[in-house]
Amino acid sequence: MAAAGGPLGDACRHHAQLGACESRAKYREGRRPRAVKVYTINLESRYLLIQGVPALGVMKELVEQFALYGAIDEYHALDEYPAEQFTEVYLIKFQKLQCARVAKKKMDERSFFGSLLHVCYAPEFETVQETREKLQDRRKYIAKATNQRDRFLAKKVEGPKKIISKNSEYDCQRNTSESCAAGNWDPSPCFPNSHMVSQNKGYPSGNHNQSQFIFPQNDNNCAETSGYFGQSMSLTQNVQPGGHTPPVSSMQQRTVPIDNGIERFMPRTTHLQERKRRREEGNKFALMGTYMDSTEVIIGPQLPEVPKVDMDDDSLNTSATLIRNKLKQVAASVSRTSVEKPKDSLAKPLVKQRRRI
Amino acid sequence: MELGRLEYLQALVTEFQATDSPDAKEQVLANLANFAYDPRNYGHLRQLQVLDLFLDALTEDSEALVEFAIGGLCNLCLDKTNKDYILEANGVEPVINCLSSSNEETVMSAVTTLMYLTTPQSRQQTTALPVVECMLRFSLSASRRLSNLATVFLEDYCTPLQVEEARNLSKHTAVGIPLPKD
Repeated sequence: MAAAGGPLGDACRHHAQLGACESRAKYREGRRPRAVKVYTINLESRYLLIQGVPALGVMKELVEQFALYGAIDEYHALDEYPAEQFTEVYLIKFQKLQCARVAKKKMDERSFFGSLLHVCYAPEFETVQETREKLQDRRKYIAKATNQRDRFLAKKVEGPKKIISKNSEYDCQRNTSESCAAGNWDPSPCFPNSHMVSQNKGYPSGNHNQSQFIFPQNDNNCAETSGYFGQSMSLTQNVQPGGHTPPVSSMQQRTVPIDNGIERFMPRTTHLQERKRRREEGNKFALMGTYMDSTEVIIGPQLPEVPKVDMDDDSLNTSATLIRNKLKQVAASVSRTSVEKPKDSLAKPLVKQRRRI
Repeated sequence: MELGRLEYLQALVTEFQATDSPDAKEQVLANLANFAYDPRNYGHLRQLQVLDLFLDALTEDSEALVEFAIGGLCNLCLDKTNKDYILEANGVEPVINCLSSSNEETVMSAVTTLMYLTTPQSRQQTTALPVVECMLRFSLSASRRLSNLATVFLEDYCTPLQVEEARNLSKHTAVGIPLPKD
């Protein structure tokens, strides 16, 4: 690194993507081609550098996409960072290393507005204190992981009679700690509860309305969305008049049977296809800024109702209202079949009806 | 599943020892070093004597092999059993030698490994005067990663007295170990 280069100058070299290794023995080949590289705690970071973002003014979309993997502390464009033509480079700082890890894994080499993202850790943006904390977190994690293992082994040796109950207890503990603290081997995403809040916090106030606008409709029609905001919006309004949001359970009820279906025997290829399909579906939601695994429902301001058109004539107005109500009834009966709470959806339109006449 | 993992690791170790291809050796060593990141593999890795394999590879001529081996040690040396084993096997010395590598990754891993290997007993060795001197120089490096790491080392693992002593010494000896290239 040149002395004059500063943090940006030296960043370029260690972020140069290594060529994927072509000469691996069959048994060592992974699912994706990878370069020969060893990851240590020094290379990891809460800071992610995202290269190859098309210069289309899509920062908000980019940040929303990354926020799916955990709360983001800071983000900004790196204007001086050397970038390919028509692309931009962004820096995103996650609150937790584990989230950055998952985000990197999921987003690297992903297509984003027609361009492939290159995501890498950017530890050179850490402060001394952040580096210190990172090293200490690793120390704590190893202490926790190995202590539990030791205790587990000790129990096993000393009291084989009690082992059945103890076993399950320890397994349980270990699983939870591994998956939420820092399951490194196959990290599962962590979604802190404050997730959405902090995500919003980061937006400039101008975008605030829009982001809130996106969230409420997402929890409605996960199954039906076709990816267009306009379309899904009208759908929402037809099915749920008056901005009425269905209970959370409707989404869960719909997804649970799918999961159960997988439990049946399926040939491996079908299994893979199914997985691919679900991944793609996941991506689709991801693009819209929802995250699927959450049970938390964020309800924003009510969508404005469709303005009533005045027909300049009493009888015309009456028939227009009739038609509107009829449409709502039909829509309600449709939602009754899909949602397993018929009384709720039936009751609401009725109230509305009376008021309007 | 657990059995599968052990067998896989065994296959890697066997290939590392048997192969003549330098490429394959690097790939396998990198594989093992990455496995060393996850505490769940520590038992297997000890069983297969991968710690010795890493320590031996520190003296290889190939820069890549040294980088991967010290990376592997950096990944597993926090575990108490592994730490004791490395200290017992006089592992500190070859790790200190890595500080003079021209490969930045190797140097970074070596600094972190020294931090993690520091115990009341090993402190004297891991924070010997030449090491502290080295860290002083690294703390002035243009590479933010390296300077951060060296600063943490100086602040958290050395006494102010040690740092002062090293500072005085480096005043007299202007030429030291060259900084890593990148």
